[in-house]
Amino acid sequence: MSEIKTAGPNTNLLLLGVNHTTAPVAVRERLAIPAARLADATRTLAHQPGVREALILSTCNRVELLTVYESSSEPSPITLRFLEDYLNVGVADIQPHVYQYRELEAIRHLFRVASSLDSMVIGEAQILGQVKQSWSVAREVGAIKSTESFSSTLDPLLQRAFSVAKRVRSETSIGSSSVSIASVAAELARKIFGSLSGKTVLIVGAGKMSDLTARHLIQQGANTLLVSNRTQSRAEAIVDSLRNPSITTGVLPFEILHDHAHRADVIITSTGAAATDPGAAQIFTTASARALLRQRRNRPVFFIDIAVPRDVESAVNEVEGCFVYDIDDLQQVASVNQASRTREAEAAESIVSSEAARYAGRLAQAPATEAIKQLLQNAEAVRQSELARIAARLAAQPLSPEQQAAVDALTQSLTSKLLHAQLAALRESGTGINPASPAQFTGQPGKKNRIP
Amino acid sequence: MSLLWLRVAVLLYGVAALAVLPAALYNQPRWRHVAFPAALAGVFFHFVALTEALSAAHHALPVDTHETLSLLGLLLAAAFVLLALSYRTISFGIFLLPIAVLLTLVPAFHPGHETILYIHSGWLFLHIGLLLTAYASLFLSLIASLLYLVQERRLKRKLTTSNRSWIPPLESLDQIALNALLFGFPCMTLGLLIGSVIALESIGPTFFADPKVLLSFAMWIAYSLMIFIRRHSGLRGRRAVYLSSFVFLVVLAVWAANQLSVVHRFKAP
Repeated sequence: MSEIKTAGPNTNLLLLGVNHTTAPVAVRERLAIPAARLADATRTLAHQPGVREALILSTCNRVELLTVYESSSEPSPITLRFLEDYLNVGVADIQPHVYQYRELEAIRHLFRVASSLDSMVIGEAQILGQVKQSWSVAREVGAIKSTESFSSTLDPLLQRAFSVAKRVRSETSIGSSSVSIASVAAELARKIFGSLSGKTVLIVGAGKMSDLTARHLIQQGANTLLVSNRTQSRAEAIVDSLRNPSITTGVLPFEILHDHAHRADVIITSTGAAATDPGAAQIFTTASARALLRQRRNRPVFFIDIAVPRDVESAVNEVEGCFVYDIDDLQQVASVNQASRTREAEAAESIVSSEAARYAGRLAQAPATEAIKQLLQNAEAVRQSELARIAARLAAQPLSPEQQAAVDALTQSLTSKLLHAQLAALRESGTGINPASPAQFTGQPGKKNRIP
Repeated sequence: MSLLWLRVAVLLYGVAALAVLPAALYNQPRWRHVAFPAALAGVFFHFVALTEALSAAHHALPVDTHETLSLLGLLLAAAFVLLALSYRTISFGIFLLPIAVLLTLVPAFHPGHETILYIHSGWLFLHIGLLLTAYASLFLSLIASLLYLVQERRLKRKLTTSNRSWIPPLESLDQIALNALLFGFPCMTLGLLIGSVIALESIGPTFFADPKVLLSFAMWIAYSLMIFIRRHSGLRGRRAVYLSSFVFLVVLAVWAANQLSVVHRFKAP
């Protein structure tokens, strides 16, 4: 009988890394691997002794190395040495910030990261794309084998992580509400205008927040940007900084602001004029808002008043068709959304934990199942070959169909009895990853094992 | 057989009307995958039932008030399907689908036996169908205007915290309200014209002295005025709701006037 191989991956999974909660930015930036070097770094890590598969995830908030090792290797020193050699960073400098997860905990952490439960802003959508990008790079450089080759551990694991992230998105509202001022403003604009495609945004004044809000609105489809500022050169500078080929931009002289304000669907004000000149009137009053609305033939207009003191009279909100949100209103919506995300995150954690336990359990069974399959195949091959040999020897006096059936049954029964002990042993041995024990899942989410 | 399809349609409308509640009101997007296909299948079976009934009616189709209302139910359910496809909103189902169920329930389980004279005439069927389409459009426009008002108040009071608000954006609601009116207007005009020609042929000029008929023309004038005002002044919000409600009341009065009319009744004279 030929040697029986455990065809399934003899998994030894390690996830080692730093993130925004364990390492200050000074450490993270030393460990960050730029996108241009990601392929080379992944390839180099995959070629380290004992490493079977590797993936590197490097974003501004985390650097994580996910590796599958031969069972005989001790993985963490190898991975740390890779960081030291490749990035020229002293192990002693980074060791206090590094966490590591093995086996089931590594699976669970990966699922949490892909589902954006470990992100700085919980529920943000970019991380899934970043994990996919890392996976794609690792596959391209051969650091992750394809699932079809059957020897891959990371490929099916990553694909599972993507579907878990999708499940979290569809079954919870974790990513459905905005938590930053700029995105809340863009979300409100969508509630008024639906698609922002073809809409005009007017910035009155200057400021980082108004720029950021305008950027969000442009990302959502707004395609005309007007800027009005008391200082013409400042307005031109803002236009330059926000200009992109897909939008039309223009500077509106401050003196004729009210003559042209009706062209804008969204008006972002951030002059804070009253701060420098306490006697200055607010830029948009009820009367000017009514006039503006008349010119727009009652089409709604959305004022985002980021200025302190405010640029838009609060009574403008009472004018039919005018919607005024000041910085406090936006902040309040963002806070409520943040609280809602936190609640949703609890439901998401439970999905991730159960998915990780299920995956780890299945992985633990996989090698044994494959070994059983191969053992049975080999035994059947031997049985068939012996039957063929005996049939050839008895060619002169062939067996009757009844006799053939009896011999067939006898050999099958013998094979089963001979293999029984081996099969039982294989079924009991859960080689590879230990399936989840409930206690392992009751810990705090995100609890990390620091390297001593 | 048409009765069986109609009952299947009622059942499907019922499923859709229930499924749309968690989908729209309780942020359970998975129910959307039940509500929309059920409504679509309901519309299909309702259409099959209607076509079978009409093709079987070579001489006289048993049509009474309830069955005419069932056609209105079909139009409302079809409006829900079209809105879900065009505007990706199922919110209108909260209002349209239960009404579709109610309008279809009686003819499906207690079919009438009254007969409209001349129903064999395709023109009369067209007259009924076009006017019902105009009523359905007006009803849709009224709902869209009401939802506009609710959404406007939520935005003004800063109550919009969830991204998955069940009410569509203001601009979509405004478009739905106006487009529904614009679609309904030619239907009403053509429906009234066809009705007038049939009446002239069958009853004569006395038809036009009937209160129901006079009210119908008043309804047409109100309808066209409303479109004019909405288009040319950009009327939205509270005043648009008042205007739509007024015209809707006129339509209800026209409908109720069947009971008073001598010449325009569902029952054969």
